[in-house]
Amino acid sequence: MTRLSRRLFLGATAATLASPAALRAQTDAIKLGSLTPLTGVGGAYGPSMRDAIAGVIEQVNEAGGVLGSQIELVSEDTQTSPEAAVRAARKLIDVDGVSAIMGTWASSVTTAVAPLAWESKTMLLCVSGADSITQLPHQGFICRTQPNSKLQIRVAGDFMVEEGATQMAWIGPQTPFAASSIEILGEMAAANGAGMESLIYEADKSTYRSEVDQILRAPPDFIMLGGYAADSTVLLRDIWQAGYDGKIIGPAYAVNNTVLEALPADVTEGVFTWEGAPAIDSGAYGNIQAILGVDDVDPYSAQTYDHASLAILAMAAAGDASGDAIRANIRAISQGDGQVVESAVDGLAALDGGINYSGASGPCDFDEIGDITGTQFVFKQISGSGASEYKRA
Amino acid sequence: MDLLPQLLVNGIISGTLLAIPAIGFTAIFAVLRFPNFSVASHATIGAFAGYAANVWLGLPAAPALIAAFLVAALVGLVSDEVALKPLRPYGALTAAIASIALTIVLENMVRFGFGNDLRGYDLPLVRDWRIAGVRVGPQQVQNFALALGIMAAVFAALKFTRIGKAMRAVADNPTLAELKGIDPVWVGRLTVFMAMGLVGAGGMLLGLGTSIDPLTGFRFILPIFAAAVVGGLGSIPGAALGAMVVGVGEELSILVLSPSYKSAVGFIAIILVLAFRPRGLLGERAY
Repeated sequence: MTRLSRRLFLGATAATLASPAALRAQTDAIKLGSLTPLTGVGGAYGPSMRDAIAGVIEQVNEAGGVLGSQIELVSEDTQTSPEAAVRAARKLIDVDGVSAIMGTWASSVTTAVAPLAWESKTMLLCVSGADSITQLPHQGFICRTQPNSKLQIRVAGDFMVEEGATQMAWIGPQTPFAASSIEILGEMAAANGAGMESLIYEADKSTYRSEVDQILRAPPDFIMLGGYAADSTVLLRDIWQAGYDGKIIGPAYAVNNTVLEALPADVTEGVFTWEGAPAIDSGAYGNIQAILGVDDVDPYSAQTYDHASLAILAMAAAGDASGDAIRANIRAISQGDGQVVESAVDGLAALDGGINYSGASGPCDFDEIGDITGTQFVFKQISGSGASEYKRA
Repeated sequence: MDLLPQLLVNGIISGTLLAIPAIGFTAIFAVLRFPNFSVASHATIGAFAGYAANVWLGLPAAPALIAAFLVAALVGLVSDEVALKPLRPYGALTAAIASIALTIVLENMVRFGFGNDLRGYDLPLVRDWRIAGVRVGPQQVQNFALALGIMAAVFAALKFTRIGKAMRAVADNPTLAELKGIDPVWVGRLTVFMAMGLVGAGGMLLGLGTSIDPLTGFRFILPIFAAAVVGGLGSIPGAALGAMVVGVGEELSILVLSPSYKSAVGFIAIILVLAFRPRGLLGERAY
């Protein structure tokens, strides 16, 4: 019995020692990681964000791969929870050895995953808006395709002022961008002679009646929502039931189609939304429409289409598939005077002459800390069961 | 302070709705002696069963509530037989941990069937009434009445029916009850059926005024647990009282605390009760 155990033990040890060699043998394929919210409050976006990445990789593989290798996608679920996302990121980095992690959505998730990325020299491409993310000491290992929240709030604040707000209110859950949103909106209100009230509530409650009673005391004539879809659904209903008939604006990721389907049309009538506008007239947008098989691509799937394209092109430009190579070359292929390309496959073909990738989410130009520049915004107004374009900024 | 009457009304209504699943939770504890955290997913299942009855079959709220009760009760019975009952002999902690695993499994089954999207019940939405400066919604009043009706039925059943008396007997002293010819296994099954039915109905009532998704029940697990502990784990009137304390406490807390700390009220209530009155406000006698 003892002898058998010892033999088993020796065998297992030998197998363990041999395994790095076995792993090396498999690293022919280049691995990229998708880390999107397949479940949780971001669950409405994660699956199609992952499919966008998979679609780009499939196109590149069909065209012969990159650096003489095929690309393998490893997909994990953040569950829209920082704890689960960190576990998943550890697996992507330590077990799969991916060179880039793409598609982290909630700011809290990206913030939690970021240190793992820069410590392991893995590129992190995210769609999160909190300002604090690109201020982390990330050494260039983070780029985001989502405009930062300061810019988003300023653009929306301008809109509120233009639409005649005299008493503004901000109401939202505790998020990494709640405090800065309130601060910016407060400054903008003061500069334009308007009043401003704010309230931070707890996410994941089934009713916000008391919170609504408190925020409506001012009383405001223009309310900005600062949450996600689940709490905004509850909030919009509570605000309407309380008899509020002023204006409301919310980010498009919070007042999205699932919210419109879950609420009666009366409640959402006239509500404004705003978001970074995908480049709907671009070839890249047409490509992602074809990949996903839908007409209306959400901004996050457009962004992850760009993540995958940028990562692949940066590797190809570096001649090296590491995260460090992506970090060093991502700006070389995304901005500058090169030939404008709108897909990874076209970019790989034109790489030698110098390229400037322009994607489905916009021009994809990054500043020195990894923030996106040159994004367009679109304001929409909800009427009936849909939202129609109101203006662009 | 001008908000006080409004907050009290909001708190009483939310406390009454919370009492239904809290009674289910504490009833299982009274008879089977373990905290069954799978109430979270059963509340979700009830909410979705009610949704299916209301939106797909076009039933009004009250019959849909019966569907919520029956589906959650059946799922509760089957999942208890399969997953929890075999583990109960290994102790309350084992069963409690298994119930957490069970709730994750069931929640994901709901997610598999219905997806992650938010869903709203097909009910007419009207603006709130304002009575003496306090606003209250017609739907809230209806939910409040339904919850009171359910509670009255539960207390009547426990007091006047043979089944209710058998449950109370097993809760008080299982050995003695068995000597008297009461089969504790069947009483256990009945308790799970009734309790998970209540949890399902409660899940739907809590979801009626808002929207539901696969995490609906999970959001209430802390207040449900707090209500049961505050009232006295295993005490059914205690659960109702505890739910009122937690419900009113959460709403009143915004007078002194930032609303982002609302859930802290549940924790604070648990700590205070465990520190000063470990058996809960009404002790642990089932009824």
